[in-house]
Amino acid sequence: MMASRLWRLVRPVACNLSRTSALNNCAAPALSHGLRFQTTEAGSSKPTVASPSPLVKQQLTDFGAYVAECLPKYVQKVEVSHHGDLEVMIHPDGAIPVLSFLKDHTNAQFVNIVDIAGVDKPTLENRFEIVYMLMSLQFNARIRVKTYTDELTPIDSVCSVFQGANWYEREIWDMYGVFFANHPDLRRILTDYGFEGHPFRKDFPLSGYVEVRYDDEVKRVVVEPIELSQEFRKFEANTPWETFPNFRQVEGGETEAAAKPEEKQ
Amino acid sequence: MATRSVQQGLKQVKPMLSVDRTEARRRVLNLYKAWYRQVPYVVKDFHIPVTVEQGRAKVREMFLKNKHVSDVRAIDMLVIKGQMDLVETANIWKQRNHIMMFFQDTVNPKPADFLSKFYEGQD
Amino acid sequence: MLRLWPLRQISRLQNAISLTQQACNKSSVPAPSPELVEVFVDDKQVFVEPGTTVLQACAAAGVEIPRFCYHDRLSIAGNCRMCLVEVERSAKPVASCAMPVMKGMKVKTDSPVTRKAREGVMEFLLVNHPLDCPICDQGGECDLQDQSMAFGSDRSRFTDNAFTGKRAVEDKNIGPLIKTIMTRCIHCTRCIRFASEIAGVEDLGTSGRGTEMQVGTYVEKMFKSEMSGNVIDLCPVGALTSKPYAFTARPWENRRIESVDVMDAVGSNIVVCMRSNEVMRILPRLNEDINEEWISDKTRFAYDGLKRQRLTTPFVRSGTGELVPADWESAFVKIAERVNATDGDLIAGVAGGQVDAEALIALKDMLNRLGSESVCTEEKFPMTNSGIDFRSNYIMNTTISGIEESDLILLVGTNPRLEAPLVNARIRKTWINSDLCVTVLGAPVDLSYDYQYLGDSFELLTDILNDKHPLAKGLKEASKPMIILGSAVLQGENSGAILDTVKSLSEKLRAGSEQEDWKVFNVLHTQANQVGALDLGYAPGVDAMKGSKPSVLFLLGADAGTVKREDLYENALVVYIGHHGDYGAQIADVVLPAAAYTEKDAVYVNTEGRAQIGRQAVSPPGMARQDWKIIRALSEMLGVTLPYDKLSDVRARLGEVSPTFNHAGQVEDAGFFNLSDSATVPRKESRPAVQPLSPALLSLRDFYMTDPISRASLTMAKCVQAVDDAEKNPYSKPEQS
Repeated sequence: MMASRLWRLVRPVACNLSRTSALNNCAAPALSHGLRFQTTEAGSSKPTVASPSPLVKQQLTDFGAYVAECLPKYVQKVEVSHHGDLEVMIHPDGAIPVLSFLKDHTNAQFVNIVDIAGVDKPTLENRFEIVYMLMSLQFNARIRVKTYTDELTPIDSVCSVFQGANWYEREIWDMYGVFFANHPDLRRILTDYGFEGHPFRKDFPLSGYVEVRYDDEVKRVVVEPIELSQEFRKFEANTPWETFPNFRQVEGGETEAAAKPEEKQ
Repeated sequence: MATRSVQQGLKQVKPMLSVDRTEARRRVLNLYKAWYRQVPYVVKDFHIPVTVEQGRAKVREMFLKNKHVSDVRAIDMLVIKGQMDLVETANIWKQRNHIMMFFQDTVNPKPADFLSKFYEGQD
Repeated sequence: MLRLWPLRQISRLQNAISLTQQACNKSSVPAPSPELVEVFVDDKQVFVEPGTTVLQACAAAGVEIPRFCYHDRLSIAGNCRMCLVEVERSAKPVASCAMPVMKGMKVKTDSPVTRKAREGVMEFLLVNHPLDCPICDQGGECDLQDQSMAFGSDRSRFTDNAFTGKRAVEDKNIGPLIKTIMTRCIHCTRCIRFASEIAGVEDLGTSGRGTEMQVGTYVEKMFKSEMSGNVIDLCPVGALTSKPYAFTARPWENRRIESVDVMDAVGSNIVVCMRSNEVMRILPRLNEDINEEWISDKTRFAYDGLKRQRLTTPFVRSGTGELVPADWESAFVKIAERVNATDGDLIAGVAGGQVDAEALIALKDMLNRLGSESVCTEEKFPMTNSGIDFRSNYIMNTTISGIEESDLILLVGTNPRLEAPLVNARIRKTWINSDLCVTVLGAPVDLSYDYQYLGDSFELLTDILNDKHPLAKGLKEASKPMIILGSAVLQGENSGAILDTVKSLSEKLRAGSEQEDWKVFNVLHTQANQVGALDLGYAPGVDAMKGSKPSVLFLLGADAGTVKREDLYENALVVYIGHHGDYGAQIADVVLPAAAYTEKDAVYVNTEGRAQIGRQAVSPPGMARQDWKIIRALSEMLGVTLPYDKLSDVRARLGEVSPTFNHAGQVEDAGFFNLSDSATVPRKESRPAVQPLSPALLSLRDFYMTDPISRASLTMAKCVQAVDDAEKNPYSKPEQS
């Protein structure tokens, strides 16, 4: 172990010794490599995940408050997560105005749409959450805008603001069945033609409803209702041999035992 | 009076495409007509072993499968999906097997009585 | 009479703990009776019987102490030291499993001292325990793993600077069932105590001391016991594991299905471990009334017979006399052609011993609808006098747990050790814990406990009945005598005389006894569902059926070879419904593949008359179907459709026929003793039974292969081979004493 570690430190130098011309250029990364090694070894007191600096956190909080102040009609809540990410919860009607604001405001300039994600929370009345993830290259900042909808309520497409949102919204339509109004080209993107249902919904079974196979008789791929030939794997963690035979009765026994001294007093 | 309250009820939710039932009905009928007219081309383009009459019967069957739907927005959603399906079909993005998926011709019906269930080995 | 001196104390201790628990349950009683000892467990006050151990007192207080060597059903060894606890005003931590409680004792189960003691013991155990959990079969269900997680230290100090390695011990070969990896042994001696106390085989022991200590047989020989597999469950580590199960599955992948065993008539409760539609292993399930927590080796290891010699497709005998694979419909048509052309009287059914109650009732209903009354079981039972009219005549009336109350047992023509190992274990347990006296009429076999051998002639029995034998006095003086009649001796000629004599004797004792509801008479069956078949109105024995020369015969899992082609009408059609290609399938014209006991939801009635439900673990192989469904489908083809489509309908029908089937898991008490007694006409000097009262199974070799499943099992064949080899081993104790 020790020997291999030493070799890793020495090897770049050894390689470079043969190529004398490039010695100066390559020595720097080798040095930094060695330094990083040491910090990870010695730095056990430092956490591996850096917590955001209070200054950055304060800036984000301030900016969030500013957004809420500017768009009081749409912004419902602003939050800075423990990772130091700014999250803005908005009403679904506000998707275009809020994103336009964030894109076009001088102090924001979130011109880059990183992703749009969907989340299915079946217990909520508005079960789908739509998350727009934006990035500002100008300010080296990221922001998340969250809104909500249900199966039948359309949400405005933000393609007019961000061209890049086109496929993201198609993906959400395909996976969750959320309809984006005024989308230039809303159609399936990941599933096969003729596929029914939206696979990322929580009520869509893991196995799906149909199975696909090539049928030699009709010389084409056929789709049939699924018949599972293998059972789902389910792991049981408790041992079959009772190590502590009385362990399961503890709950009942404990209450009785606990009740006893009280009665005596 | 009653119609107004219905309209108000409709206004509370964001309409998908149609604002009332008549409009939704019109959209459904339009879509049906479009499919109906498309069927001969589908049969021809895809070389499927189905006659035009059978194709139209299938279109009718697919529409009637949803005849119980009464929510305007749910109807709209089905119309949107039907429309997308039609586009996929008309542009021949689909292939033969996708068209034949409607017909389920290789699926054997599940046995119902004890003896045939026994032979099939199904409980 | 100290049969096993340490055990005497255990029994007292166990009485004490049961009293303690009762005391705890009665929370409404404010003042504890004066003789109870007051103990504080983590400042919680509990009252326990004097003589209770600290560990048991802690259990009563709801605190579980880690342990390896302590086991509820074994004597106390106190050698693992894992159960150390701090006791106030005690210089050192005490081993709680061996320390009796004292008045006002204050036990601290979670104090720094206790924890440090546990961590220290655990560290010492792990120093000499290999770190091979990834390749150990116990992994995932290992006490050492679990307890080192819960009670061990969170970091290791083990550094082997000198590279001397851990302690290593040579593995032992103790037979084809138990795999030993002795390096993993932590010397808890549970296996040794099980062998000498429960199984009654003094094969295992320790040799050497300190680091040199080894558990084993000293000289290499087989661990020759019919319940040896239980040491696999008892072993807290992976030192003793199952050989057939080795490296086949991990415990967390297995799905567990609670079921009932059919290898003998005890109806042991089992758990079938299944993975991807395959039975991986069989474990015991706790049932204090039947098998406690043990099962016999046949129950545990015969499961590989479920995969061999199976019938997976229907067969029809062709014109050339060969069995040809067919589909269900053509097999049914072949049967229907013949049955429709046959008079109802000439149709008969014979059921084997492992057939479930659902199939039995379906076959009986179908034949009745076809106009036949001729349904019988392969196993015989005398029909003289009241015969099987009264349920008390053919079940084990005192129940298995009733053995523990008995003070005198007379075994007539039975070898319970091999016919019903768990009944024998119960007798041995009673024999150890009380002054039980066992007498045997039959063969002088090794029963793992001392008994008085009387002989094997029928005259002795009549002598006892007529007070001419010294035992008659003993029986009369016993407060709770038991007479266990083996069903094996009822298979021969004149078995009616044996049954009548035993019955009269039992009735005499019952009537003369002071115990009001003590039933003396017991029958120990060997077939899993014989009692169920008799409950459902099957006639015992095939003799009557043979007399009528049937022309269509249904064999329902009948593989004992009691029916031969010569017994039947010429060109008779024989239909075999069963799961193994055994005797029945060979003589059949049409073979219908059915499900074995792990493949169906089914009810079995054990020898006590206790109906128990076995659950389906896997699906039947190939085209095989569940038995009652085959009969139901066939009945439709024969035009006498049975009125049940679902399992619940069949169960309802079973309940109509006999109330036994309505309360699964409970013993249905048989009554009418007086009536059945009066129906027993006193026989005028009956002809003495010609053959001796000898049981069928005499030595361990006979035990392993008794039914289609165990006959097909490779593991059981290996056991027979190993027993034969052990006979040649000069160190092995000869079985017959």
